[in-house]
Parts: sequence; C-alpha cells; structure tokens
Amino acid sequence: MSDFELNGGIDPEELRDAARRLLADKVDRRAPWEARDNGRMALEGAMTELGWYLLTIPEAMGGLDQSFEALAPIYEEAGGALSPLWPAGTMAAIDVLAADGTQEAQAALQAIAEEGHRVATVILPVGALAQSARVAMVPGADLATHLLLVPENGDACQLVPRDAAGVSIEVVETWDRSRSFAEVVLNNASADAMRIETPEALSLARAHSELALAWDCVGAAAQCLTETVEYMLGRQQFGRPIASFQALKHRAADHKVALELARSLVTHASMAYARKRNGWAELATQARLLATGAFRGIAEDAVQLHGGVGFTWEYSCHLFLKRALVNEMIDGAPEALNDRIAEAVMQKATSARI
Amino acid sequence: MEEPGSIDALRGEIRQWLAANLPADWRERQRGDDIPSFLTMQKEWFAKLVEAGYATPHWPKEWPGGGRPLAEQIAIFEELARGGAPRMSLFFVSLYHAAMTLCECGTEAQRAKHLPAILKGEIWCQGFSEPGAGSDLAALRTRAVRKGDHYVVSGQKIWSTLGQFADQCLLLVRTDSSGPKQAGITFLLMDMKSKGVDVRPIKQITGDEEFAEIFLDEVEIPVENLVGVENEGWKVAQVTLSSERGLTLVELTERMGLSLWRLVEIASGGGRDFSAIDIGTRREIVGIASRIEALRAMLATLMANRIAGREAVGDASILKLAYSRLSRDFTALGLRLGGTASLCDTHYTLGAGYETGNWMFDFMNSYQYNIAGGSNEVQRNIISERVLKMPREKLA
Repeated sequence: MSDFELNGGIDPEELRDAARRLLADKVDRRAPWEARDNGRMALEGAMTELGWYLLTIPEAMGGLDQSFEALAPIYEEAGGALSPLWPAGTMAAIDVLAADGTQEAQAALQAIAEEGHRVATVILPVGALAQSARVAMVPGADLATHLLLVPENGDACQLVPRDAAGVSIEVVETWDRSRSFAEVVLNNASADAMRIETPEALSLARAHSELALAWDCVGAAAQCLTETVEYMLGRQQFGRPIASFQALKHRAADHKVALELARSLVTHASMAYARKRNGWAELATQARLLATGAFRGIAEDAVQLHGGVGFTWEYSCHLFLKRALVNEMIDGAPEALNDRIAEAVMQKATSARI
Repeated sequence: MEEPGSIDALRGEIRQWLAANLPADWRERQRGDDIPSFLTMQKEWFAKLVEAGYATPHWPKEWPGGGRPLAEQIAIFEELARGGAPRMSLFFVSLYHAAMTLCECGTEAQRAKHLPAILKGEIWCQGFSEPGAGSDLAALRTRAVRKGDHYVVSGQKIWSTLGQFADQCLLLVRTDSSGPKQAGITFLLMDMKSKGVDVRPIKQITGDEEFAEIFLDEVEIPVENLVGVENEGWKVAQVTLSSERGLTLVELTERMGLSLWRLVEIASGGGRDFSAIDIGTRREIVGIASRIEALRAMLATLMANRIAGREAVGDASILKLAYSRLSRDFTALGLRLGGTASLCDTHYTLGAGYETGNWMFDFMNSYQYNIAGGSNEVQRNIISERVLKMPREKLA
C-alpha cells in the first residue's frame, strides 16, 4: 500500500520521509553479519509497490517523470540505513533508455515500469568488450533481470537479458556483506542484445551511478558520525565522557566539515545532472570523489574513536568501514577517476579567471 | 540556483561599470612596498564605489545605494570579485562593522555624525581583542571608569585591522568586573586622535603591517559615545561581529575559484598541454578544484538560508573552517609548484585575492583566515559543541 500520493509534483522531502520509514521498518542491518536473512526481497517488493522504480520513467511509458532530485533522498536514506539493495543500476538504465528514446528503448522502459524488469548497469572498462569481459564486483546484479553493458571505449551500449547465452552472473563473497555483489562474465554475449546508440549513454550511466554512490556515502557517513558521537557521549574515562576531550571532539568536528562539504557538492552536482547544466559529468565524478573520501575518513576514524569495541564484530563500526571502502573502490579507484576528469577540470579552471 | 532577472540586470550593470571605472593598474598602485600609494588607490576606489552606490548596498534605504536585499549584496560582491576589483580593505570595517553597529544600536546623534563621515572616507578600526583576550574575547580587561560626562579608559588592544590609519575606533571596555565576564562590558566609540591613544603597527610574517596595537593611557571618551547601555556592550559586539553576513567569504571564495588557473598555469609551465603535468600534481589540483566547487555550493546554500531567515546553528563555523583550510592548502600547493621562484618573489600586492600568483605572500596570509575571526580551534569547539552536541571540556 502506498504511503503517499504519487503525482506530478512530488516533494523530495516526502520521499525522504517515506524512505526513512520504510528502511527503518525493513532493513535489519546486522542480519548479514549474524547469519540471518536480511529480508531484502520484502524491501524490494515494498520499493516496487511504493512506485520508486517509476519515479524517473517518462510519463508516456507509465512513469512519474521526475528528475534525479527525486531519487537523491532515497539514495541518501538507503546509505544511512546500510540498505541491502542497489536500485541505482535500474535507475541509471532508465536515464540511458529515456535519453535514447527509440521504440525499443521505450519498450524496455515500459517493461521496467510494468513487468518488474530490474537492471544491473555494468561499466565495461576500456579493453573489455561487450562480447567478452569479466567485471569482478557488480552491485545487486544477482537480483537483476537484465544487464546494461556500457563500454568505456565508446561502443554502443547493450541491454542483455540475464539468461542470454554467454552471460554468467555469479554471486561473490566480499568483505562488505551489507549488499550483494556478483561477478559478471560475458562470453560471446551479444546475440540477443538490444543496442543503445545514444552518444551520451556512457556519461549518463556513469554520472548516475556516481551520484547514487555519492549519496549513499553522504547518508552512511552522517549515520556513522552520529553513532560515533553517541558512543563518545556515553563512554566514560577519567571520570568524564570521552566526547568532552578536545583532542577527540575536534576530530569529530573535522569529519562534520568534510561531510557537509561533500553534501554541498553532491547536492550541487545532482542538480546539475538533473538539469544537464554545463559540466554535469565531471561534477558527478568530483562529487563522488569528495563523498567517498569523507565517508572513508569518517568510517576509518569511527573504529579508532570507539576504541577497543570499535574493533569488535559486535559493534557496527566495521559495517560502515567495509561499505566505505567498497564505495571508494568500485568502478574505479579515486586516482583513476581523478585522472579521467583532470583535463576537463583544468580546462574549466583556465577558462574562468581573474 | 536560478536568479531573478533583476539580479541578472544588476550583474550586467556592475560589469559595465567596472569596464569603465576599474583602474587597470590598481595592483601596481597597491604594491606592498608603497603604502602611500596603496592608501591613495584605496581612497580613490572607495570614492568611486560610494558614488556608484556599490559600497553601501547593505545600508538602510535612506542612504545613497542602500536598501538592497542580501541577494543583491551578494551579487555585488561576486561581480566585483569576478571583475578583479581591489578589495575594500581600508574601508571594510567602516562600511560594515561601524555602520551596521551604529544603524542597529547607535543613537540618532551618533548616526548623524558618523554615517555621512564614513561615506566621505572616515576610517574605522575595531578595538576588541587584547593580548589576554583572543579566542576568549569576553575576558577583556581594558578598564573604563566613568567620571562625570566622560569615561576614562586605560588598557591595551591588539589586532586592530589597519588601526594606524583609523580615525575612529569601535572599542570594547570593562566597566564592571564583579559578575560573569560577558556582563560588565561596555561598547564605546573612540576618536583615535584623543589624548593618550598610542598606535603601533604590528609587523606580520609577511613584512606587511595590516594590524596594529592600540595602547590607551587614561583616554577620555565622552559619555555620548556610549553605544547601547553601559555593561551591556557584549550584545552590541555581537551585532558588530555579525555585520558582514558572510559576504567576505563570498568574495574570497569567488576570487579563489577564479585564481585556480594560476595553479594550472604554474603546473603546466604556462602551456596548454595539461597531460604533461605530473600526475600527482594533477590529482592535487583536481582535489583543490573540487573543494572550491563544494565550498561555492555550501556558501550558496548558506546565503540562501540567510536570505530565507533559516540559518542553522554552526553553519557559519563549518563554512569558515572549510574555507580556512582550503586557503592554506591552495596556497601551499602553489608555493610548492612555484619552487624557488616563489621563494624569490618578494613583491606583493595588498588588497588582492589569490590572483596575483605571489604564492609565498598568499600562503603566509592564509594564516589570517585560520586564526582571525574565531580560530580553527574555536570553530571546532563550536561545531562539536553546538552542532554535534558534545560537552565542553572540563576546565582546570
């Protein structure tokens, strides 16, 4: 049952509230660490029912015609809850298909809206081909009905059913149990593929994925910092809460600054992406870099600020730490991302000057 | 953020005005080794700004140029920065701290005396900090005793910006030591030519003298120069300290963003082949660029919140700390990339942003932002205590 009315003018803050309520109800973040079922299928069902997968699909294809700004609060809340699902694969594919706009693409969008198709968006690094490639960690691919293969070398994208010949999706065990990851192996896989020729496909898929990851980091980092401060308020040493020691609280303050700087850039980049303002592609990468860096910094220090218990399985510091490290590394380490946008960033710097 | 057309028109108007009025040689005329020329240039520029109405957008609407909403004030600061105009160094305290304090807390007579004078170039400084009262400003001890129709003031002030050139001073004094330290502070206006005032410029690590110490030896200040109520000057001081409303950081961030090309230029040796830049350097430049972009976005949100009257506690501290650290990192990178050449470049410009490429000067100057106006450490206390709700450290 829908918690709120979906209509043309959706308030992102209402979506945030709905997301927060749903995630609080459905996510048992300790489950994967204690050999319990994490209930992700129930969450997926509820997300579908709430219409989240319809949000950015164009109206003509049965969607709600919203921009990325409607998704941002959902991604952020999902990060804060350490949600086990990764809807960004499907959402990124929606942006690519909508930009492509061919009849086939429209049909694919309709299938997402009406038949519950779910997509894992797979960026194929330069050197890998859509016919033959191996990508080690694709988030949420085990639940996908389709793969959107996006070659970095500029070749056309392909939308491939998961059961197509030559496609193999194997769940992989990783240190980060908060989400599922699969290894995708393509071996002569192009036979049934639908080709997507729109020249912006790579930029769109990448920017959407990066912004989703960035919001996940912002949400998770904020939650990690809140829990760390709470712990420090309760933990007494030398007859006072350790939260009162300047040496420690100044570190917390620095983390807060890093988090808010990241949030500012991620917000700005999301707006630029939603409205396709100048430089949106580079901004998305810059936002991701700042957000993954902030989250990593906070999660890393959270263990230290908790002291001994931060090093235990029982406390949740490691949940954040592991997710942070995955977020930072997936689809390209910071250095690689940085190198990809350096030229554009420097061009921009030299064109606006006093 | 989308801007209304009126702001767009204002921006266009300022750009046109700058094209006709900005002296091309102002940086040469504000060289650090020629203070008389700096003062002349500043006064000349200030007179032009006043005439155009761009110096007083924040003043009440009865005043020429006044009555502009904050959004327009921001646009003016941004456009002056984008146009590469000199900063308002010598007159900033007069236009903001002094004028806003008088507008909000002064008497009609004080306003009638000083506001027109400020427009004609009366220079003000601030006598707040003391050697023993920096981060802990309320601990100030400069003593004022009322005798008939005047106060007799003795003590020492420090870090008065350009105090050696000031005509007037916004002075905080202690009139009562019996209660809590914030109580018993009184806010006075002091004529810098009064008997017993001795100003000594402070030579900074840059070699430059942007601040001064003010020694007060039984200085007589007429009672009519009291601002607000005796012993309740702390409240007035808060008005003074919040008078610039973030516009300085709007300007400085804009200037830093528009000076990023300097880093690229020095890294690439002036060439256009960025791929030739060392990979580590490229990564550092991208990191700085991202932080500037983030700071701009944060500033835009903060100012929009201020306009809407919904600022959250600690937002200004988060912004200031982010800016201060970026200022240091930005200039430190330029200094390193400049190598020995930047160590030999001892000619600098006063009242510029980051655009001159004198890395050593700008690097040393960046300490100002990290220390003045609430040091980074004070900001960290504010953020941890008021935003994150962590307790104060138990004092010995």
